[in-house]
Formats: sequence, structure tokens, C-alpha cells
Amino acid sequence: MKHKLAISIVSAVLFLLIGIITVSAQGSDKAILSAPTSTPAAAADRVVTTTVKSTAKAKVDTCYDCHAELLDKHPKVAADWKDSVHGAAGVSCADCHGGDPTLDQMKTSMSAAAGFIGVPDRTKTPEICGACHSNVERMRQYNLPTDQYSKYKDSVHGAKLAEGVTQVAICSDCHGSHAIKKASDPTADVYPLNVPALCSRCHSDAKMMEPFNIPTNQFDVYKSSVHGEALLGKQDVRAPNCASCHGSHDAKPPTSAEVVNVCGKCHTATQNYYEQSLHSQLKEAAPKCWTCHGNHDVTKPDENMFTHTASTEPVCTTCHDIQTLDLIVDKAKFANPDDRRCDTCHHQDSWIYEQVLSLKSAMTVADLAYKQGDVMIAEAIGRGMIMNDAESRLAEARTSLISARAAIHTTKLTEVTKLTDKADASAKEAQQMASDKLGENLFRREAMFVAMGVIITNIGILAVVRRRLYKELE
Amino acid sequence: MDRTNPEKPSGLFNGIVDWMDERFQVRTLVQSALHVKIPRKAKTFYLGGITMFLFMVQVVTGSLLALYYQPTPDRAYDSVMFIMSNVNFGWLIRSIHSWGANLMIVSVVLHLLRVFFQGVYKRPRELTWVAGMFLLIVTLVFGFTGYLLPWDQRAYWATTVGTEIAGAMPFVGEFALNFLRSGPDITASTLSRFFGMHTLWLPMTLAAMLLVHLVLFHQQGIADPTKPVSRAKPDASATPEPEGKLLPFFPHYLLSEAIAWYVILGILIILASLWPVGLEAKANALQTPAHVKPEWYFLFLYQLLKFVPRVAGVLAPIVAIPLLVLLPFFDRNPELKPRKRLFAVIIGLLTVAGIIGLTIWGQFS
Amino acid sequence: MESTTSATRPDKKLVSRRGFSRFLLGFSFISTVAGAIIPILGYLLPPPSANAGNGGRVLVGTTKDIPIGQGKVVPVAGKPVMVINSNDGVHAFSAICTHLGCICMYDPVRKMIICPCHDGQFNPVTGVVVSGPPPKPLASIAVSVDGDNIFIGEA
Repeated sequence: MKHKLAISIVSAVLFLLIGIITVSAQGSDKAILSAPTSTPAAAADRVVTTTVKSTAKAKVDTCYDCHAELLDKHPKVAADWKDSVHGAAGVSCADCHGGDPTLDQMKTSMSAAAGFIGVPDRTKTPEICGACHSNVERMRQYNLPTDQYSKYKDSVHGAKLAEGVTQVAICSDCHGSHAIKKASDPTADVYPLNVPALCSRCHSDAKMMEPFNIPTNQFDVYKSSVHGEALLGKQDVRAPNCASCHGSHDAKPPTSAEVVNVCGKCHTATQNYYEQSLHSQLKEAAPKCWTCHGNHDVTKPDENMFTHTASTEPVCTTCHDIQTLDLIVDKAKFANPDDRRCDTCHHQDSWIYEQVLSLKSAMTVADLAYKQGDVMIAEAIGRGMIMNDAESRLAEARTSLISARAAIHTTKLTEVTKLTDKADASAKEAQQMASDKLGENLFRREAMFVAMGVIITNIGILAVVRRRLYKELE
Repeated sequence: MDRTNPEKPSGLFNGIVDWMDERFQVRTLVQSALHVKIPRKAKTFYLGGITMFLFMVQVVTGSLLALYYQPTPDRAYDSVMFIMSNVNFGWLIRSIHSWGANLMIVSVVLHLLRVFFQGVYKRPRELTWVAGMFLLIVTLVFGFTGYLLPWDQRAYWATTVGTEIAGAMPFVGEFALNFLRSGPDITASTLSRFFGMHTLWLPMTLAAMLLVHLVLFHQQGIADPTKPVSRAKPDASATPEPEGKLLPFFPHYLLSEAIAWYVILGILIILASLWPVGLEAKANALQTPAHVKPEWYFLFLYQLLKFVPRVAGVLAPIVAIPLLVLLPFFDRNPELKPRKRLFAVIIGLLTVAGIIGLTIWGQFS
Repeated sequence: MESTTSATRPDKKLVSRRGFSRFLLGFSFISTVAGAIIPILGYLLPPPSANAGNGGRVLVGTTKDIPIGQGKVVPVAGKPVMVINSNDGVHAFSAICTHLGCICMYDPVRKMIICPCHDGQFNPVTGVVVSGPPPKPLASIAVSVDGDNIFIGEA
């Protein structure tokens, strides 16, 4: 008790002292406020000015001192801020909420006269954040970009907000309001591994998405996709999260014209192959990445993606405009993963179908040779044989086979068969090496039986001699 | 029985023996070494002989491996790989050497247990037991030093954790670790140290100890586990065993021993052919494999160290080994039958059960 | 008479028995020795490619085969090794891509080790990942140049 009393006396004296100093210094502070695109000197002084009108900049912060001692959520809010990047960088309560942190009376410090605005309006929030975060001078020291606000205005979220739709995501919905963390902090909601869950907080909520008429199953579909499994399962931060394809501040679905570049950011080799194909020259009518691979539900491609298992009736409107007979792609026909096949367009009566079958058979043959080689080598290793040579030959086959898979995107049979033939040849050589070793292993086993025969004969001989000796002894 | 019979087959072999006998009295020597009688009630299970046979197998295969093996870190692995994949029967020789080492440890331990439970280490065979204990220790060190030589991941990391057991000793731990590894880490000098131990020091030591063990054994003959040796009146007044209760060591006993050796040889060939020894990736000091374990015969110690305070875990063998070596000197109960020495037998059984339990636990943890 | 026959008969039997036993033991001895000698003699014969495992350095080419700015994949002990002659010396790496195990190649235009499967790129001097899916750098391999000759492995 005594202790507390002493502290409050000391702090009261301090407040008084600093209050006097700041009041005398207010004139110069106002000068800085009137020029928000402030000078480097101001940044160096860690004086932060936002669009929120706060009157004073001082070493005291009565907001924090009081709220830290209050009940309910207040101490947590104060502590969250203190531990946040803003707390560390000296961005104070008043910079976002307004008010005068030098006054120790709630009525005055949190009055409209002191510029207090309380919880910022949702429509105003991006602007408040953007006031600092768009300032190149201020952000340079943190090596942070300054284009978030302008990107945001261009995003679906920002556009809707401008229309007055307030339930769209604003800065604080993703970054938090008080407990703001760096994106590189693994505990931050905006850390790459946490982004899908963050977006799904709203986008999986059917009620929230109802007015916008968009699906809510993306997160569930993504979770079981190759990308989702890599990111969430293997915790591989390099795997794409929502923002990798949609953008973060500039969130928007990629358009048909953009999708090849979006996927090609990572799948560079495949993009190169695709751009050599006739498909890519079709422009608007071109099948794009998502036509065959889907978007949120991308799975590991395999040889089954060439043709339907059962024969299907061709539907003209899948690829042709029924009026003009121009080529088109009806994306709806590819919604079901089982319909993302070459023969959805190149139906069995079309002349390209033959080529599809040839591609499929080239891939299947090479893949089978590779898999057989793998099985045989595993068997030989299981029997204790040393298989370095065969393994490295099989690695060559694997290289050609994976390259061939990527080369399918050229749709050129010669390009693909060049690689599959190479894969097949290497795999066959590896198989031959494995079967030689297996043969040697068989010989070893046969030799073992011969040796065992000799040993058993000898044991028999010794047993006979021994019996005679013992008989003699009696 | 009647040696007076002049029917002596003449031939080249006998000629050579005669010639030798004339100069060195070989016949007398062989006679005294082989023509002894052993009690019919002796039950040895041929374990000592089997261990000796396996040692001979190890000497032969080991000498062969040394012809191609190169004991430096950058060549050890490749040369073992070369033996396995290029040298004729190289896989067989190395596999037999490796399986032989494991079987030798099994048989030497079983030999020890046989002698312990039969109580035949007691007076007058104390020193034979002591020599035998040293042989066991040398055999274990053989296994430990040999394990590193292929220089693959398994070898490297098993040796890492194995030497750390020694490093856990109080006071002298750091010294022991540095001594074993020839420095703080496992390096080229560890490898040459282990190679020198494995191929020069240990074979010579083991051969010398074996000679002592055999001479002592020969002087006293095989023990009769049904008959305690009287403490008051040693051999002098003891009535000689009647002929019917004795068995000639040669050829009767040795023939049975030879059959046992053939069985072991057969087992070795089957193991080496069906489960040849492999070779993991080359040793990499920067990449610890998922499940690092020492060889199975040190696993119980490794497992013990995991849950017992380090000092206690390391002190246990330090106390237990001298106790075991000196066992015949403080176990002064003259009885041999297990029923009459319940305390020793129960302690023995508990120890064996504990070691087996810890080994199995270590294997599956 | 009776006594002599009874004396000689078992004696004769004994001799023939001994003879037979001796024959058997002789067979046993010879077969065992032969069984042991064959693998040992086979083992002692110098194997055909005695140089491959005799360790140490393996000559993989000359600086004329791989001039500055070029790289080449060579097999060493059955494993593909990438040898690169760069401006600051000769470097060697395992050519096995750390992503899916494809065999990499050197792209002299981009001055990068690239994996043809998923366009993984590695730095040709350090082996670290520059871009693409590989999770780990390529393992470095000891290489030395003696005159014009490039050797893999430590001397």
C-alpha cells in the first residue's frame, strides 16, 4: 500500500512537470501537424502523425497508464499494443484514436475538443493506416512497402468499402488492431502458413458471403489440394497460400488473361512449355492452367488426365460458339475434376484425339518402365545387393520422365516422345542392371544350397563316425 | 588300449611325424594335449569351442578384408563398397565377418552363462574364469572397434553414441572420450586408432589370453558340474574316477565339437547368403540419422543411461565388471548345484532378465 | 581255434571299420578345405576394375574438356557429379537435385545449375538454391585440379 502511494505521488509530480513542458512546446508541435508529409527530422524524432487529429506529442501517455489499470478488456488492449510492432515503434494510442495523452483527466483527454474519435470508423480505417504506411520517408527505415493503401483501393475489398459496404475486410481484420505483428512472425495471422485460415474466417462463412453470392468452400477444397497439403501439411512456406494467387492488399480473383502468369510465377518450366503450344496461341479460346488443373482444388496430375474412362458424347458448345462456330472454352464443362480431360474438347471423332492417345501411351509406357525399374531395384536392395549404378540410371529415367510430363504442355507429340523414349531407354537399362543383380543373387542362393549340402554331408559323416566311436567305447 | 600292438600303418604322414618326433618329441606333446579324459557328466554345450572356432573364422575373414580395406575417412567407405560390389566373394567374406562377430558375442556370453550357472568357475578354476572374463571384454571391444570401420552413417553414429557412453563416466569421462576418439570428435585419427586396435592390438591380446585360458583349462580338465571339488583335501587323496565315467577328449569329445563347428559354419553361410551385410550412406558428421543406436550388445547400457542418472548408469558396469571378474574369489560357497546356491542363481537370472529386457526395450524405443 | 577266430574276427571288422571311417573323414576334410579355399582364392584374385574402388582421386576430365564458363555432368562411382569450371576455379557438386532427385545440368547462358524437371536453379559456385522448389543446396564434392587434369575426391 505504502509503495503504491509513493508511486502515485511520484507520477503525479512527473505529470505536472512534463505537462508544463509540453504546454510550452505545443506551438512547435502544431507546426508539424499542419504539414503531415513531415520532414525526415520528424521521423527521426519518432513523432507520428496520422490523419487522426491528436493535439500533443509527449513522453507521457496517460492513455496507456490508465487503460493498463482498468478492468475488463482494457489491460489486455494496453498490453497488446505495448507488445505490438506499433508499441515498439512508438506509434501511440492517440495516433489512431485521437485525444490528448498528456492530460490526466478522462473528460478532457478523451474529448472531441482534444480530437478524440474513439474506435475509428471502418470506412476510415484504411486511410488512417495509410497515412503512415504510404509515407515513403517514414517506411524506409523499416524496409516496408508503401503501396498497400493504393493496392487496397484497387482490390475487391477496397472497392466495396468505397461503395459503403462495411463488412468487407479492412486492415485491422487481417492484421489485428492492437496486437499487430510482423508478417514474418509465425504467430501472426498474416504469416504465410496462417493465411488460408485467416481468409477463411470470412470466406467460409456462408452468412457473411450471402450478399456477395460467392462460394464458401474454397478453404476446404484448398486444404486437400497439392498446394494446401504442401503449405498446411508439410508446413512448406514456399507453397502458395491464398494471397500468392489473389494478392493480399490487392485481393482479386485472377482473370483468364492473367492465370498463366500467375501459375507461371512458380511453374516456370511448365509455363515455357505451354507458351510453345498451339493452346496458348488461341488467346481467348485457349484452355488455361485451370481448365485442366482446376484452381483451389489442384491435385497431382497423372496419366489419367488425358481421356475419360468411359466414352462420352461430344457436346459442341463446350468448344464452339453455336452461332459463329468460333472456338471458345466453356469453363462450366470443366467444373467437375473428372471432366478435366483432353477429350472433353478433342472428342473421340476429332482428328486430334489420335494425338492425345499417342501422348497418353508414350507417357504410360515410360512411366511403367520407370516404375518396374524402381520395383526391381528395391527388390535387389532388399536382398542386400548394391545398386548404385542402376539407381543412378533410374534417376536419369526419372529426369526424362518428369521433363516429359512438363513437355506435355507443348502438346507436341515429337517433343514429348523425344523425352519419353529417353526415359524408357534409361529405365530399361536400369531394369537390366537390376535383373543382372537379381540373377547374381539367385546364384548366391543356389551356391548356398550346394555349400549347405556339403556341410550337412560332413555333419552326417562325423555323426556316423562318432556313433561308431561311442559303440567301441562301451 | 593295447598300444603294444606293433601294427603301425606306415606312410608319408607317419614318416613325417616320426621325423619330427625324433627331434621334438611331438608325439608326447600331442599325446599330452589331446589324450586326456573328461568326465562324462560334463555338459559344455561346446560353447567355448564354438567361440574359438568363430575367432578363427574372424581371423581368416578379417585378414582377407584387410587386403582391400583402406583405413582413411575418404577411402574407407569406397573400399568397403568395392569389396562388396567388385571383389569376388567380397560380399560373402564381409558378411561372414560381420555375422561371425555377432555370433561370437552370443556364444561367448552363453559360454559365460553356462559356466556361471553350473558353478564351475569355483575353486580350483578361478584363474580360468578371470582369463575368460578378459576374453569377453576383448571380444566386446573387438565388436566396438570393428563397427566403425565401414565408415557409413550407421557406423559413424553408433560409434558417436557408443563413445558417449564412455564419456559419461564421472571424473575420467572426458579423458576416456578423448582417448577413444583420439580427440573430441570422430575423425580420421579415430578411424586409424580403431583400425589399429581392431587388426593389431586386439587379435594379439585375444590370442595371448586365449592361450592362457586354454592352458589353464587343459591343466585342470573339464569340470564335472555334479561334483564339488573338496576344499580341505585337494586332488592328491582324491580317488581317481572309474574308467566308465570318463570319456576320451580325443577323438570323442573333439568329434562332437567338430559337428558343432559345422553347424555354426552352416548358420554363418545361411545368414551371410540370405541377409548379406549392407552399407548405408557414407558417414556425414553434419547429418544425424533418425534412429541412432549403438550395436545391439551395448544397447542395454545405452538404454540404462537414458533413464538412470548418468553417473549411476555408468558406474553400474564399472562396478559390475570387476565384481564379475573377481566372482570366484568372493563367492566361496563350494556348492555347484543351482538349488544349493539359490542366491547366486537368482541374482544371475535377474541380471540376465534385466539385460534382455533393456536390450528389447532399447530396440523398440 | 575258437579263441583265435573270436579274436581275429572283431579285429578284422575293426580294421575295415577304421578304414571306412578314415575314408569318410578324409572326404570330409578335403571337401571342407576345398569349400574354404575356393572363395578365398577367388577373393585374392585382383578384380577386373581394380582402379574404381582404389579410392582417392578420380580423373573426370581436363580443363580442355570443361573450359572456363562450362559445366559437365560426369559419373563418379556410379553417381552423377556436376563439375563446373568457373572464373574463380573448378567446383563440383552432386548433380542430384534435392527436390525430386532429377539430374541437373549446367546452363552456361544463365550461369546457373538448373534442374530440367521443375526449373530449380542453383548457384554454380556455392550450390545454394537460387530459385525454384529445391529445399536444400546441392551437396558439395571435393575437387582438385592438377595441371590440366580435374580430379574428384580428396588427394
